[in-house]
Amino acid sequence: MNDRPLVINRRRGLSAKHREWIAGYLFVLPDALGLLIFLGLPMVLSFVIGFFEVDGFGAYTFAGFGNYARMIRDPFFWSAAKATALYALMLVPSLYVCGLGLALLIQKPGRFNAVIRAMFFAPHMVSLVVVALVWQFMVVDKIGVISRLLPKFGLPAISFLGDPSFALVAVVVVSVWFLMGFYMLIFLGGLQDIPAEFYEAAEIDGAGSIARFWYITLPLLKPTSFFVLLVSMVAAVAGAQAFDIIYVMTRGGPANSTSVLIVYIYQQAFSLGAFGYAAAMASTLILLLMLFTLLLFLFTRGGRFDHE
Amino acid sequence: MSNEFKGHDKRSRTDLSRRKILTNASAFAAAGLIGGVTGFPFINTMAVRAQDAPLKFWQFYAPGGQVPSQIAWFEKTVADWNASHPQKVELEFVPNSEYINGTKLATSFASGDGPDIFLISPGDFLRYYNGGVLQDLTPHIDAAAQADFPDSVLASRKVDGKIYGIPMEVEPMAMYYSVSAFEKAGLNENDVPKTWDELLELGKKLTTPERFGVLFETNPGYYQNFTWYPFLWQGGGAFQGADGKSAFDSPATVQALKFWQDAINLGVAPRQVLGYGANDVVANLGSGYAAMQNVGIWAISAMQNNAKDVPYGIFRLPTPANGKYVTVGGGWAFVANAKGKNPDAAAAFCAWALASMDQGSIDRVVNWCTVGKSDMPPRNSALKSGAEVYSKGGMGIFAKDIHPGTRAEPRLPPEVYKIISDAIQQTQLNGADPQATATAASQQIDAFLASYKGAPIL
Repeated sequence: MNDRPLVINRRRGLSAKHREWIAGYLFVLPDALGLLIFLGLPMVLSFVIGFFEVDGFGAYTFAGFGNYARMIRDPFFWSAAKATALYALMLVPSLYVCGLGLALLIQKPGRFNAVIRAMFFAPHMVSLVVVALVWQFMVVDKIGVISRLLPKFGLPAISFLGDPSFALVAVVVVSVWFLMGFYMLIFLGGLQDIPAEFYEAAEIDGAGSIARFWYITLPLLKPTSFFVLLVSMVAAVAGAQAFDIIYVMTRGGPANSTSVLIVYIYQQAFSLGAFGYAAAMASTLILLLMLFTLLLFLFTRGGRFDHE
Repeated sequence: MSNEFKGHDKRSRTDLSRRKILTNASAFAAAGLIGGVTGFPFINTMAVRAQDAPLKFWQFYAPGGQVPSQIAWFEKTVADWNASHPQKVELEFVPNSEYINGTKLATSFASGDGPDIFLISPGDFLRYYNGGVLQDLTPHIDAAAQADFPDSVLASRKVDGKIYGIPMEVEPMAMYYSVSAFEKAGLNENDVPKTWDELLELGKKLTTPERFGVLFETNPGYYQNFTWYPFLWQGGGAFQGADGKSAFDSPATVQALKFWQDAINLGVAPRQVLGYGANDVVANLGSGYAAMQNVGIWAISAMQNNAKDVPYGIFRLPTPANGKYVTVGGGWAFVANAKGKNPDAAAAFCAWALASMDQGSIDRVVNWCTVGKSDMPPRNSALKSGAEVYSKGGMGIFAKDIHPGTRAEPRLPPEVYKIISDAIQQTQLNGADPQATATAASQQIDAFLASYKGAPIL
């Protein structure tokens, strides 16, 4: 008699809860390993390399906080930080407004909605280098399609990519054009989650379209907004488009006006061979992004915005 | 009892196994991280290649590129070497954007897996020499061959009398102009400018709503610096004085910075160039975007291969009032990796290819400079062998009028290059005061030189 429960235990092995637990972790394992090997380990190595002078030919000299001290003294680091902040300040709200605007535009069923959605999303499917080259040609001084239009509207000639006053704005516009289709789809998903009954009830109560947007759409889009703000901020600071578009269109110029941190880090590492200094800046950037993400999570209760 | 024992054993093994997995995984991760953290300086010693593997020769002239004769030259050079030497060499193509300006060459050396043979320009010489990866090629070059290279050509590749790079070409800078643009403005070859002021005046005449009068490089980078140096030198400017301190804060620097700034402010030069930069003559002068372009001797070959029907002329760089004519001569050089698989064989290959008194070596240089590209040869014997090519057309103008005033591209540490690049960009495109910019840049150069310990700057 004493043996029976043990036999059952042996047949069952693990409880259903444990099996689920293991299955869950096994599903997560490939991604977790990938993240650990391809993101976690390089981040740790980069953080450590930040404490060394690295000549790029095998010599490592411990520098303590030397690279971080250099970063604080380096005026180009601060100008790159300023360019990054400006880029993010222009890009994140623009993506929010354009993404949400487009989603609202195509939200209701229509004959051409699928085509319009595809049109707005299409830029996101094109290589960033191609996007940058095409735009570069469109805005080139004097003969670019856009440059030719300005005089026809009585506007003075502008060198969009050659004038430090306009270059950053120009790359923000191209970045928005490239990314807005992606955020449109995210907002569209969020909008479709809002029950239609809310709008019907509001309409019966006499609420206009602005009131419905303000009191129903926007509050119920908070989790989506959280996601968009978080992802677009990361994209603005360290996204592929922040590097590729700028590197192809301006190489950080003119006069460092588009030299955002990610471009400056690249230049320090690969053009100047200052790998240790570049690693220190990259680590600082990652820490700042993690801090921003943490604060955003804390203030929004993980994006749920719920109250006690 | 036996079942109980089995059950207990099973449970124990399950628990142990799970714990073991977690423990082992943690240990593995920790070991990986600690190994990564503590062992990272030694990662670059891990690259291992078979002893009989061919030497890797990295270059950026692509098969199917704009000028087929260039890759054909590389392929023939390697095939000829492989036919007569036991240590084989293998060509590897690295796109230009991934080469000096990209990540591939830099990261290959950082990981201890750099190519055995590769190409560098004087602008990169100090970075690689100071990094200890350039092999001394002198033992493989006999005295007669060394004497065949003019001092001015070899100087930027030498340290303490030893040769670390063998130039394959000399590429002087000049001005090219569109004949049709000149004709439309009622001008001809007699109107080519001699001074900076004349160039700007002519630029105004040639500027139209759809075309710029003159074009200088606007993209920041090594190439922009390279193209600006002659304008600095023409007024007697220098980077470093005899006392070892910065000489950048000088009237010559200020007027050279102001010259490029004036070209932009007058609206005769663009803020943005077409194609892959101002070294792309076809995309700029060839397309009609600019009537005159500051570009090097290689543009002859580029126009011949890609814009045959566009008539153009060449004239030497104008000078400032009371200035002295001088241009800059760049060019790539073969170098061998001192930390490669077989540095001695790699060095022997470089010398055999470009610096032997053997007629095959001389012919190879002539072929590269006259068929592969349109360049001035770095060797006296090659100039003599190719005399016919250098007696007519655009090459004749370079040989007779432009090349005699050539000064070798300087070799500067990357940090100094960056300071100068920022000074050019700030004045040319951001309206900064040339005098204040030169002074600030000079102070930065001095700060750098105070702790610089590498090979001499030239």
